[in-house]
Amino acid sequence: MPMPSPLAVLALIAVAVLVAGYRARVLIAAIARAPAAHRWDQPWQRLGFVAREVGLHRRLLQIRLSGSFHLMIFCGFVVLFSAIVADFGAGLFPGFSLHAIGGDTWIALLQDVFALVLLAAIGLAIWHRFVIRPARFAGSRTTDATLIYLFVIAIVLSMLTEAASGIAAGNVAGGWRPVSGALAAALTGAGLGADGAAALHAGATWVHMLAILGFLAYIPGSKHRHMFTAIPNIFFRPLTPRGVLPAPPEARGQVGISKIEQFTWKDVLDTASCTECGRCQAACPAFAAGQPLSPKKLIMDLRDRIMADAADSAGPLLGGTISEQTLWACITCGACMTVCPLHIEHVPKIVDMRRQLVEEARVGPGLQDAFANMQRTGNSMGKPARQRARWTKDVGFKVKDARKEPVDILWFVGDYASFDPRAQRITIAFAKLLHAAGVDFGILSDAEQNSGNDIRRAGEEGLFQTLARSNMDALSECTFQRIVTTDPHSLNALRQEYPALGGAHAPVLHHTDLLLELIEAGALKLKPGSGATVTYHDPCYLGRYNGGFGAPRALIERAGYRLHEMPRNRENSFCCGAGGGRIWGDDTGVTERPSENRIKEALALGDATLFVVACPKDMVMYTAAIEALDVRGKLAVRDIVDLLELAEA
Amino acid sequence: MHAAVVLRLVPDIADDLEISESGNDIDREWVGMKLNEFDDHALEEAVLLKERAGASVTAVALDGDGVDKLLQSAIARGADRVVKITYDELPPLPAAAAVAAILADAIQALGADVVLTGVQTPEDAGGQLAAALGARLGWPHLSAVAGVQPAPDGLIVRQEHSGGYATRVHAAGPVVLGVQSASQPPRYVSGSKLRQAIGVKPEKRAGGEAFAGPVAMVRRLAKPASGGGAAMWKGDADAVADQFVALLRERGLLKG
Repeated sequence: MPMPSPLAVLALIAVAVLVAGYRARVLIAAIARAPAAHRWDQPWQRLGFVAREVGLHRRLLQIRLSGSFHLMIFCGFVVLFSAIVADFGAGLFPGFSLHAIGGDTWIALLQDVFALVLLAAIGLAIWHRFVIRPARFAGSRTTDATLIYLFVIAIVLSMLTEAASGIAAGNVAGGWRPVSGALAAALTGAGLGADGAAALHAGATWVHMLAILGFLAYIPGSKHRHMFTAIPNIFFRPLTPRGVLPAPPEARGQVGISKIEQFTWKDVLDTASCTECGRCQAACPAFAAGQPLSPKKLIMDLRDRIMADAADSAGPLLGGTISEQTLWACITCGACMTVCPLHIEHVPKIVDMRRQLVEEARVGPGLQDAFANMQRTGNSMGKPARQRARWTKDVGFKVKDARKEPVDILWFVGDYASFDPRAQRITIAFAKLLHAAGVDFGILSDAEQNSGNDIRRAGEEGLFQTLARSNMDALSECTFQRIVTTDPHSLNALRQEYPALGGAHAPVLHHTDLLLELIEAGALKLKPGSGATVTYHDPCYLGRYNGGFGAPRALIERAGYRLHEMPRNRENSFCCGAGGGRIWGDDTGVTERPSENRIKEALALGDATLFVVACPKDMVMYTAAIEALDVRGKLAVRDIVDLLELAEA
Repeated sequence: MHAAVVLRLVPDIADDLEISESGNDIDREWVGMKLNEFDDHALEEAVLLKERAGASVTAVALDGDGVDKLLQSAIARGADRVVKITYDELPPLPAAAAVAAILADAIQALGADVVLTGVQTPEDAGGQLAAALGARLGWPHLSAVAGVQPAPDGLIVRQEHSGGYATRVHAAGPVVLGVQSASQPPRYVSGSKLRQAIGVKPEKRAGGEAFAGPVAMVRRLAKPASGGGAAMWKGDADAVADQFVALLRERGLLKG
């Protein structure tokens, strides 16, 4: 067999590029016609992040084994790219070689070594996928993954054979190719003559080129697209703070998304980048609860809908491609987005589709009641606004009305902390601590309304705007230095969402921040705690969305308790199941409530007797979970405020 | 078909109500007002008629505090037109016949051929408005309506009775309906639709002459007295729950 002629190589490349282009046309067209997303700001910062994220494999290595072999494959591909350049270069321009820059020395050595690394990594990947079979792969396309393994094996083996037969035929220098050299020796030893070696060399070169071009043509329909889309997708990730949900773009002409073509080009790129690795699915509390939501499947379904390029015949997007139950199952905890190695944005897509459901009044009864109550009374329980400050009667001193006199700290109390008896207890205890520390604080009383954080995430954008404006107006009429709240959901709205709407930029503290500050300043003196072992649950909107990991832990330590962390902590915390409006939904189809899953995790620690929280909703959710699991004797829920006992004066 | 829907604001009885000094009304100073729940169903049924049979829908309300917002929300729900009816004078708790006198002329002038309103309100507990409007307009009226279907020559009206019975009445001409429930629960109206409707300014129309005939009056309001048969449990939620569990156990409804 003769070596490929330049014309033949050119023709093959042209065919492969045409096929690849044809297979990618739907995606390219979808990106080209999709609505705008503004992601070109701060390019240098974006580039730097891409370099760190890709180079260090930070998110991928959170799962040690698969992260490691991905890194091996990634490095292997980078090194083997030199072999591709050398082969096609020589194929197109006879005489071309990388000899001048070390093609026969150090590059040759790297190619040889990384060929083995790649084979080892593919071996690990196959073992991982087919023997270990992690649950997160459920729903991913196995055939696609298998074909990719076969392509990579074919590319590497043909490359080694090409080099080995080249050495045996005397065409290739063997000094820097220990693996191919050994293989060449074996071939010669097996009786391969010079002519045979030359023929094998030409054949292997053909196979190598065909495998590479075949892979290229295959990629556009495969998850391996991420070779090309991962870097841009990470580059174009949102730089806005995590706690700010994108507002509906005016150009869309409607609040929500009802058609696939209304997703922006970045959304399309997200779907095209998904590698079906399932890390999002494994982290998703809704999926764990048996709800019909897998963030992975959601992205795959959107992708398939885009790729099908048959918008008219494919039925509705909402209630068709993506079921309503899927959309309502999300608790917007953001765990999926935190673990995704491609930085895919799942939650904003879900909220955009929810927005349309809300516009069309396709809303469950619990959520509808909460919405209607909020429209009428400003709180989800439908309590008269005048009762919002009723808890102040039980604190034993007068709580200032910040609308009537200036205060240093304005306390935004929040719905659950104001109305729910289980959370009210903490509200009163916190008020007493502030009073004891001599803090000059006041509340908005009946001018306060629900902050709208979860309303926005439930897709009720118009109501969120109304609530936010009302609160911003009330705040603008008060004089204060800083805002404090015990409610992470209110914290997120006030700290992140309101400034994005043009609200004032007053510092917003979580009560754990303020308490730590007061203790450090000596304004609060604590009794030494019991030294008991406790565990701590990071609320999503304090931790993952606002980075509030330190103060609660410092307070637990200051209060004299030993903290035993649960396996899923900080960024990897597991949501209680109340977020994003889910607290107003029902439990239909739930096999295990996220809150009960979490309590079991705490019980498995073995020595923690208190389950410490820092969110009024957590107080409600976990108290109920402990009752439901009937483990009252083993574990008790406490807010951090409960741990802080004042020393006798 | 032109459907007029009469909407009324009523005191929010989820609030704590106080009886006024006069003894025949509640203290309205601090009480919140909301759309009468049955009127909400009447509006929903009218919008369904619009969707199913192309009816045009006009929402009508007596002028007063909060009525603009009420009518704007009707636009957000799907009403084509909103009208507030002005009048010279009415007592705080007016009789249905007096309200009907003011509304009827305006409704006739609008050219409506079907009127829907709630079967009753907390203040019109006898459900007289639909009947009084029918009398005033000279049209038949049907109450306890639980759904309306368009028919080629009028409407098929479903009435619900106690004991699981229902009747279907064919209304061939103009009719007044006292709606108890719409064929489906009133739809949710999103905040963004409400925000859009804020710009709508309701039309104003003068109502008819005040009613001169005899009307029913409220003579006295009283809070319900606690009877002997009920035990009132006092204390916080835990204490009440304990008493509740003890009662269930005592009656043999709880084992263990």
